[in-house]
Amino acid sequence: MNELIKIDNVAVKLQNKSILSGVELSLKRGEILGLVGPSGCGKTTLLNTLAGFIEQSDGEITISAVDKSPLHISLKNMLPAEARNIGMIFQDYALFPHLSVTENICFGIKKLSKTAQQQRCQELLDLLELSEYATRFPHQLSGGQQQRVAIARALAPQPSLLLLDEPFSNIDARLRNELMIEIRQLLKRLDMTAIFVTHNKDEVFTFADKIAVMHQGQVLQVGAPAKVCQQPSSWQVADFLQLGSWLPVKAQSSQELIQLNSAIGNIAETAISNISGLLSIANHANYQLLVKPNDIKLSTSQANNVVIEHIGVTEQGYHYLLNSIEQSSPLAFTQLSFYSEQLFSLGQALAIELHDGQFLLYPTE
Amino acid sequence: MITGNKSTSWKFSSWFFALALMAPIVVMVVAGANASTVLFTHLWSTVLPEYISNTLILGFLVAILTLFFGVPAAVLVSQTNVYMAKQLRWLLMLPLAMPAYLVAYLYTDLFDYAGPVQRFLRACFGWQSPSDYYFFDIRTIGGAAVVIALVLFPYVYMLTRTAFENQDRNLLRASRLLGCNEKQSFYQIALPLARPAIAISLTLVIMETLADFATVQYFAVNTLTTAIYDTWLGYGDFPAANALASMLMLLVLFVVVAEQKARAGQRHQSSRPNTEQEIKKLSLPQQVLASVFCWGLVITGFLLPLALLIVMALDYSDFQQLLSLIETGKNSITVATYSATIATLVALFLGLFYRLHHSKGRMLPLQISGFGYAIPGTVLAMAMLATFGPLDHMINDLAKYFAIKPPGLILSGTVFAIIFAYVVRFSAIANGTISAGVGQIPKSLDLAPASLGIKLLPTVFRVHLPLLKSSIFVAWLLVFVEAMKELPAVLLLRPFNFETLSTQVYQLISDEQLEQGALGAILIVLFGLLPIIFLNRQKDNK
Amino acid sequence: MLNKICFSFLVLVTLLATSYSALASEEVNVYSYRQPFLVKPLFDEFTKQSGVKVNVVFAKKGMAERLAREGEYSPADVLLTTDISRLVELHDKSLLQAVDSNKLEQAISEQFRANDDTWFALTTRVRNIYSAKRLGNIELSYEDLADPKYKGRVCTRSGKHAYNVALVSSMIATHGEAKTLEWLEGVKTNLARKPQGNDRGQVQAIHQNLCDLAIGNSYYFGKMQTNKDQQVWAEAVNINFPNQDNRGAHVNISGVAMAKYAPNKANALALMEFLVSEQAQQMYAETNMEYPVRDGVKWSERVASWGEFKADNLSLETIAKHRKAALTLLDKAKFDL
Repeated sequence: MNELIKIDNVAVKLQNKSILSGVELSLKRGEILGLVGPSGCGKTTLLNTLAGFIEQSDGEITISAVDKSPLHISLKNMLPAEARNIGMIFQDYALFPHLSVTENICFGIKKLSKTAQQQRCQELLDLLELSEYATRFPHQLSGGQQQRVAIARALAPQPSLLLLDEPFSNIDARLRNELMIEIRQLLKRLDMTAIFVTHNKDEVFTFADKIAVMHQGQVLQVGAPAKVCQQPSSWQVADFLQLGSWLPVKAQSSQELIQLNSAIGNIAETAISNISGLLSIANHANYQLLVKPNDIKLSTSQANNVVIEHIGVTEQGYHYLLNSIEQSSPLAFTQLSFYSEQLFSLGQALAIELHDGQFLLYPTE
Repeated sequence: MITGNKSTSWKFSSWFFALALMAPIVVMVVAGANASTVLFTHLWSTVLPEYISNTLILGFLVAILTLFFGVPAAVLVSQTNVYMAKQLRWLLMLPLAMPAYLVAYLYTDLFDYAGPVQRFLRACFGWQSPSDYYFFDIRTIGGAAVVIALVLFPYVYMLTRTAFENQDRNLLRASRLLGCNEKQSFYQIALPLARPAIAISLTLVIMETLADFATVQYFAVNTLTTAIYDTWLGYGDFPAANALASMLMLLVLFVVVAEQKARAGQRHQSSRPNTEQEIKKLSLPQQVLASVFCWGLVITGFLLPLALLIVMALDYSDFQQLLSLIETGKNSITVATYSATIATLVALFLGLFYRLHHSKGRMLPLQISGFGYAIPGTVLAMAMLATFGPLDHMINDLAKYFAIKPPGLILSGTVFAIIFAYVVRFSAIANGTISAGVGQIPKSLDLAPASLGIKLLPTVFRVHLPLLKSSIFVAWLLVFVEAMKELPAVLLLRPFNFETLSTQVYQLISDEQLEQGALGAILIVLFGLLPIIFLNRQKDNK
Repeated sequence: MLNKICFSFLVLVTLLATSYSALASEEVNVYSYRQPFLVKPLFDEFTKQSGVKVNVVFAKKGMAERLAREGEYSPADVLLTTDISRLVELHDKSLLQAVDSNKLEQAISEQFRANDDTWFALTTRVRNIYSAKRLGNIELSYEDLADPKYKGRVCTRSGKHAYNVALVSSMIATHGEAKTLEWLEGVKTNLARKPQGNDRGQVQAIHQNLCDLAIGNSYYFGKMQTNKDQQVWAEAVNINFPNQDNRGAHVNISGVAMAKYAPNKANALALMEFLVSEQAQQMYAETNMEYPVRDGVKWSERVASWGEFKADNLSLETIAKHRKAALTLLDKAKFDL
């Protein structure tokens, strides 16, 4: 029982439509979880369910803060939002427009004595460098300042869990990274447990200790970001995290060995690192192979097999998107990512092949 | 934005419209300034203090009651699952279609000692005289306040409900997470956020109440308007009447300024329309109470008076009456159409001026043009005569000078005067609706077309007007209905043989023969339903 | 753009002006304080006989003001009022012109027309006291309304109503201001409820046993007797002609006058003469149950059934003269509050 929050088999139905099902998650004290997934995957619903805005139709949420008896939230014991000791930062910050910065921050700590309120508020104002704005109203602040107020307000009642709904989406791209690091450090210093929702995977890598990828109301994979990137449990995870391009392959058995044929060459079954995740590779079946840009190299032995569709410039050199020349075959592909220091011209035909190494294989959709 | 010549001409014409609407009021105040003090001293030492206190008490009571009726109704319909919420949404607006003087007449008649209700009670219980039992006296300030509030509460209801429905749901959620229960977050967040809307609607209600004469008369309640009529018609002292009317206007102005001061510094809430509200489920006893409350308002404010009218109409109407209604109905519609169109156009012009023009006093024309709402219809009518009478004389004198046949009283003696009076009186309504609509257009749209190389005027026509379409229509309809109901101004200003539905109904009422006019009254009510039906359909389409 | 708006505005104004100022030639314009349905049959008859069209605008409030503002360009020819004070007000503001007509002078006795022939009465009506039948046949005077024995048993409409103001004026003319104020205060303490409603409402209140005495005009009695719903009210009361032992019952008039700048003078005169003709007077007597001013015109049968009475012959101009004093006293007594 060292988890601060445990989400056990939670399901949500709205108007008889299943929005979430079988959600399992747990977080230790001080951990930050990034909840990602395509829009409509249910991540915001999950956040709202945790906050108490939506009632789960099944399962249990347990919040065990230090010094407090754990809260068990289930269908039978539906705690209202205000009794969960959870703080939330909304995408649009939801600052109370009729209250000043100080009043906003003190809103959640009315039960404290006046002096205690003032003290807490001053601490937070100092912590978030908001002191000079204390008497202003939200509409007189910039977006970044508004967010600081929102954070201060959420932290004031010392919640055991902080929820953040797309917290950085309204922030200038240039400031975003800086701000994320700053807030992460703040949360770490306070040993605050947090769950944040985003559709931007880069935010997760900067901000979170753990990532949970959701798809169609289910959590597909949870783990440390690096681990999830290395071993995505399904193609949806890999696809959402944009770990590489998809190369269509077909299984072909020759003698005892199964080979996977693609438009740019064949690889052996032994080169598949996640073979245990698949039950077995069926002969003649179609699969897709996750190909990272550095899995591809220019070939000297093969005939031209791809044509350049797009050229981009990156710090790692030129980024090419390649289409297979033969587009009518079932193994044809488009927009395969490839990096090279060499400059080619648009529409130029190239010969490429796969590096030797380990690959991830997934069934087709 | 607007630069160069166009800027000045726009500014000039905005001020022209505003001042034209203001002119009768200025005439009134100037005339009032010349009032003799003798009559004042007499009034002050006798009845005026009581009139003033009655006015204040009435305004206060109506304000409180409309709040008590309107705000809970708005909350129930927008935030709970009260039974038939969808129907109640628009049913609760219906009392707006009832002219207050009509409801006042029907209710004083109904609850009077000699009225059917008390007669029935006496018959049932064998009571003989008033001392045998207690029954509230309808002809008191309290009675008047209740009845006026029953017809005016939809203003509060409508604006408050819209405010609640457009409230950012996340604000309420945030307050819940910060430890407020439902009730606390309602009182600390939802209600304060709806305050601007409530305040605006309350100002409208108070203005209507203070300017009312016909209604309080049925209740034998003497207010400042009584004093105005007394001094003018009784004592024949027009300047003193104007001075009192100016006082009344000052009172209303005070209310308006106080309201604006009170919410200075507060910006309008960030409205995020169409966020689904969290609907509170009511327990059975709550459900019953809520239904009784809402239906009570719908019935007493609309259904019961309408039923009374229908019964009368069935009893007394004949084909002949129906025919006469066609002509008077046509007059009503003509006048109301012109007034609504002009008031809406002026409001549009001033609203866009406020939005698009960059000069310091750009909101002044808008504010000035709304003053007329606070002036009792008859007083306004007098001011119209005082303003356009001399103008007419000038025109005729000129014509004579050039040996042309004098055209007669083409301004003060024609429908022009009525329409002008209506525009003066109801501009506030059109202004409010249009400004609200203009406020919802993102500021970026003022500039975006310029980036596409489109000039200002085409921008207004291609961007602002289409976006304002429904605001324009609502403003038009609201003024149209008010103009259909309006009575005192048309009564005094109308040309020969010119009857409108309201004058006809009023004449019959004043002879205690509403039965004969019931059909016309129903017609007024039916027209009053139009904007409500439209507003409701518009909401459903969203 | 702006020019266009201004232009269309002008077009609108001209349209309005032409559509409403273009009146036919053979016509007469009437500003009426009297309700149109009361006088319409008379006007219809007049048009039938003379071919002159009658245009009417009716208003209870502000007619004199409108007339004054319109001045020499006023379209009004004939003015109809429901009480003496309005006529005198119009006269005092010099909005009337003297009418020299034998027909009018012959038809109307001097008491019922202005000294300078600027206005003429058309009908007279008595300010009666209605008493509950349960009181039996009693003799009453206006002074009795302040008698403490009727405490809480008197009903009336607003004291400020023209009919009541005229009655108070006549009291001032008889008793002086101080006595009249005393009387008003006495009546006020006798009131069963604060002044409200109209004359019929007071009779209804007697029927409902809310009070015993009520002040009301004579013709309302007839109107109630012929209305199916109000019959029972009328049956509950006796109509009393007050002060028969002394000065007689207070009488008010409805009247007619010619506007100072009447554009259709001849037609106006024709209409006025028609209104005092025997036929028109007969119609007045029958339909509105008032007392015709023309001698020799028979009262309606119903009106006659209420009996002969002695009328106070106080001059109408005296009554009008005390009007402001009457209003001041009503304010002082806070009669309506």
